[in-house]
Amino acid sequence: MTHRSVEVPVIARVEGEGALHITARDGEILDLRLEIYEPPRFFEAFLQGRSYAEVPDIVPRICGICPVAYQMSAIHGLERLFGVEVSPGTRELRRLLYCGEWIESHILHIFLLAAPDFLGYPNAIAMAKDHPELVRTALDIKRIGNDIMELIGGREIHPVSPRVGGFSRAARRRDLEPLLPRLEWALSEMPAIADVVASLPRPLLPREVEMVSMVNPDEYPINEGDLASTAGRRFDAATFEAVSREEHVAHSNALHSLMADTGTPYFVGPLARVNLNAERLTPVAKEVARRAGLSVPETDPFFSMAARAAEATLAIEESIRLIQAYVPPEPPMAEVVPRAGRATWVTEAPRGILYHRYDVGEDGTILEAKIVPPTSQNLRHMEEDLRNFVPGVLDRPDEELRRLCEMVVRNYDPCISCATHFLTLDIERR
Amino acid sequence: MIGCGNPEAGDDAVGLLVVRAARPRLEKLPGVEVVEAGPALNVVHLLEGVDGAVVVDAVRTPRGGRAVGTVIRIEAGPEGLPADLGASLSSHGFGLAEAIGLVAVLHEAPRVVVLGVEVSDVTAGHALSAPVAVVLPDLVERLVTEVEELRKDSPRP
Repeated sequence: MTHRSVEVPVIARVEGEGALHITARDGEILDLRLEIYEPPRFFEAFLQGRSYAEVPDIVPRICGICPVAYQMSAIHGLERLFGVEVSPGTRELRRLLYCGEWIESHILHIFLLAAPDFLGYPNAIAMAKDHPELVRTALDIKRIGNDIMELIGGREIHPVSPRVGGFSRAARRRDLEPLLPRLEWALSEMPAIADVVASLPRPLLPREVEMVSMVNPDEYPINEGDLASTAGRRFDAATFEAVSREEHVAHSNALHSLMADTGTPYFVGPLARVNLNAERLTPVAKEVARRAGLSVPETDPFFSMAARAAEATLAIEESIRLIQAYVPPEPPMAEVVPRAGRATWVTEAPRGILYHRYDVGEDGTILEAKIVPPTSQNLRHMEEDLRNFVPGVLDRPDEELRRLCEMVVRNYDPCISCATHFLTLDIERR
Repeated sequence: MIGCGNPEAGDDAVGLLVVRAARPRLEKLPGVEVVEAGPALNVVHLLEGVDGAVVVDAVRTPRGGRAVGTVIRIEAGPEGLPADLGASLSSHGFGLAEAIGLVAVLHEAPRVVVLGVEVSDVTAGHALSAPVAVVLPDLVERLVTEVEELRKDSPRP
């Protein structure tokens, strides 16, 4: 018999962690505030005084769903500061590791968090009763993503092999090759999944918005690239804090990101990436986007699910390519000599651009850390979505209104630990 | 046996701490596997193809009512966990209750025993609260007993 002892890091399940306050009179919104809990603030303080070498072990604890994103933004930034050149094998292995996270996170969101909303089920369990085969397929695809992360990162709660300079242990070819038939199977399932996404009843929330993502002339961006926006901006992570400023919002602990010059919100995530990189989607991913009903430009955030389906497909295709061509980096670690200065980097977390900045002392000690997760960058945009959406449904009973508001927020896939999927709805009707 | 929690979030670490403390004793038992998983959804994958599991997790009664440090024991039925416990386990979109519920719907559900510890402070960076720290040794004993019971009842030797 097999008994298992499983440890599951789930960030605090706290009521009030995510809260939506609405004050309305005669069908008009007087006040609307979305509050989301943000653990990175704690980690920024926690990182101070630590060695640069500890950073890859500390930052993945910020998020149970996207630990790789936190490691990759930190590692690339520190390597740029230290002038470390990693081998092509390291670069490819990092992209594969990140693809695993995209597969896992996107499939989880499409089928277990968002689809039940779109279909009017209270949760994924209720949906699974009516659509068991679909949910089984989704879980099997998601598991491939988990397995990629485990094979490369290790079996611990968080990936432990990624280091500044490379990997403490590089995956072997023979460990990765068994993934190929499973990835081919997953790829064959994606067009049908696109049809499911296309068939879901979708609310409309069209609006003008500036979208921001990385761009890279050579590949669909994940780890490397400049930043760009649909309003024509182009910048490097080094100037991120000059382009985007965080604003303290009254009555809330949360910080809202705004464009520094215009004071307007912006939108990051899969839909932003597809808008800015559509031509670099892989062949089946393009087909999936088309079948899911997504064509660019598209600014309606409810098309995010279609964008996730396209990107999950891209991650599967990229994983196949990367495994087929994989040559383990030898040695797995480049030499790292710390130097003082400022490290900055952005990578594309499943939820959107994730900015890290480290001010580092001569011996490699972290003097100050700054982390801007995608969820907090989208927060103001989410609020504006709700401001547009809520007046049309304000006549619904509280319970239904709560479900609809959760649907709007959940559509952004707010990071489970950087944010929350549970909303306390506090509505005052005058 | 499943322990849940975040190591950096006060009382939320209780499931992890109990499992780690019990690990040396449990790993000696034939057929018992100690796995550290990622987020709650991974429990779905881990419950596939096992005969039984014991879960330790931090819980919180939705409107209070249980003293901090109280340990509750509940067995998941064919429908997963009872709704009142489910609510306390999952204010996120997908928590342990949903993971167990999903396995119950999609697969032949294994026997799942949940030990829930009522918690108070789950702030990132905080330490375990005193009432929760105090119950840790008892909880480790209970966990080992539960695993031994589950092995006895298991169809496979």
